[in-house]
Amino acid sequence: MDYRHEPHGLFFMIDNKSFYASVESVARQLNPLRSVIVVMSEADNTGSGLVLAASPMAKKLFGISNVSRQYEVPDDPRILVVPPRMNLYIQENLKINKIFREYVADNDLFPYSIDESILDMTKSCRLFGKTPEEVARRIQLRIRHEMGLYTTVGIGENPVQAKLALDLQAKHDHELIGRLTYESFPEAIWPITDLTSVWSIGRRTAAHLNRLGIHSMRELAMVDPYELQAEMGLIGAQLFALAWGIDRSQLHQLRPAKEKSWSNSQVLPRDYRSQQEIEVVIREIGLQVTARMRHHHQQAGCVSLGIGFARAGEAEDGRSGFHHSCRIEPTDNAQLIAATLLRLFRQHWEGQAIRNISVGVSRLNRSQGLQLDIFQDPQRQLKNERFDRVIDELRDRFGKTAVIPASSLLPGGTMLSRAALVGGHNGGNSFD
Amino acid sequence: MGGIVLIDPKQEADLIYRRLSALFTAQWHCQYRIDVVNDHYGQTFNFFMDIKRQHHRERSIPLHTLRTTDLVTLERVITELRQQTQLSLNFVSFGRTRWPLSQRWIH
Repeated sequence: MDYRHEPHGLFFMIDNKSFYASVESVARQLNPLRSVIVVMSEADNTGSGLVLAASPMAKKLFGISNVSRQYEVPDDPRILVVPPRMNLYIQENLKINKIFREYVADNDLFPYSIDESILDMTKSCRLFGKTPEEVARRIQLRIRHEMGLYTTVGIGENPVQAKLALDLQAKHDHELIGRLTYESFPEAIWPITDLTSVWSIGRRTAAHLNRLGIHSMRELAMVDPYELQAEMGLIGAQLFALAWGIDRSQLHQLRPAKEKSWSNSQVLPRDYRSQQEIEVVIREIGLQVTARMRHHHQQAGCVSLGIGFARAGEAEDGRSGFHHSCRIEPTDNAQLIAATLLRLFRQHWEGQAIRNISVGVSRLNRSQGLQLDIFQDPQRQLKNERFDRVIDELRDRFGKTAVIPASSLLPGGTMLSRAALVGGHNGGNSFD
Repeated sequence: MGGIVLIDPKQEADLIYRRLSALFTAQWHCQYRIDVVNDHYGQTFNFFMDIKRQHHRERSIPLHTLRTTDLVTLERVITELRQQTQLSLNFVSFGRTRWPLSQRWIH
């Protein structure tokens, strides 16, 4: 492979070791690598409880992994269970990124998730040390001293190499640093046979590759890229590039998504069977999505509804749920969108118990005034429009729960209990 | 700009007491304890309710955070809190230090 024309930069991908659990350890002045802490969410919809994070020791001693259920965690007095505080983790993440900004220009820092950031060190690395490893060590120590947290650093010549160095090498390295280059890539990555351990390859993609006779990264690298693309589409070409450690993305020129859309989904706290209860929640999510869209002064030309059946519902007819969309006259009117969603629901629901609801709006365009409908009372239409605006303003000024539909107080409504959650989990004590 | 944050010890102690009362269900074979942690990194004093039931997982639930490093303030909050609850207090990471007002050892 001729790498001369590929981008040769220097990228750090830095992640926090068991971030939530580590933050909670530090808040109790425990060592994050030695404490046995499990962060467990007990929000309504997680059933008995869901493990959001487990400290390295909890993983090692008890085999607890993230997303374990409460009943899978042994009832052992050595384990310390703590509730999540999402707002605290966001604050800590901001502090960490502030430290990163001392090592790269603002434009060269790309937060990737709540505990991972990509640093483009191409220009600034030499200011802070002789080798990339030395600079990585320096950043690690700085965060350890100032915040008590351990970080893991993957180093690569492009972002994907940095990510793979992080996932596959740094996490098992004594110093918590891993490095990949175009040169070392084949030796380090090709022997991998568990394809799902490689970033961007999920269970289904791995199964697809296995069907094509590809069982290792070496076999993926040796395949004919054109054949792979013919079989898998664009993803095929991307996977081939991945196998050779090639990543041509230019992080500075982030492309806006071609077709933007807004969507929200939620897992219900229990199986919902009654039509009335389900419709309350569909309406709530519909209003929420519409409000987000209106904030961006957009109208939707397409509404979609996804329903996931409860396990009990699945058994009845084999399907695990349904997803349908429907084109509408562009609108940002919450009542219209909610009515469309309810129509879709009534058309396709056959009484199954459900556990999961998602609502999306797409085919967006800018709201430019109101297109009056000739078949409806114009005064009524104008009034509806003004009504939505007033509700939006009230919520902006006084919070999400300042005005709620009375239907949210009916059995089944989830809006009130979810208003205080961050990313679906407890945000922490509100007046800390 | 830090600015001086006025902390009213009574108010803080009341808040902590309110939160811990909700958690204190006085069950058999169960140890309740308030952890007061000197958080050097966050420069705060953190309060947690620690609940240990025999043969079960230990739980630690955040009660409050005092955004200060001033021991005098902490001492006043603790004095207030002690008037409201008999639960034992466990001081973490204070080293060998005396309370600035009473001159007793922190433990």
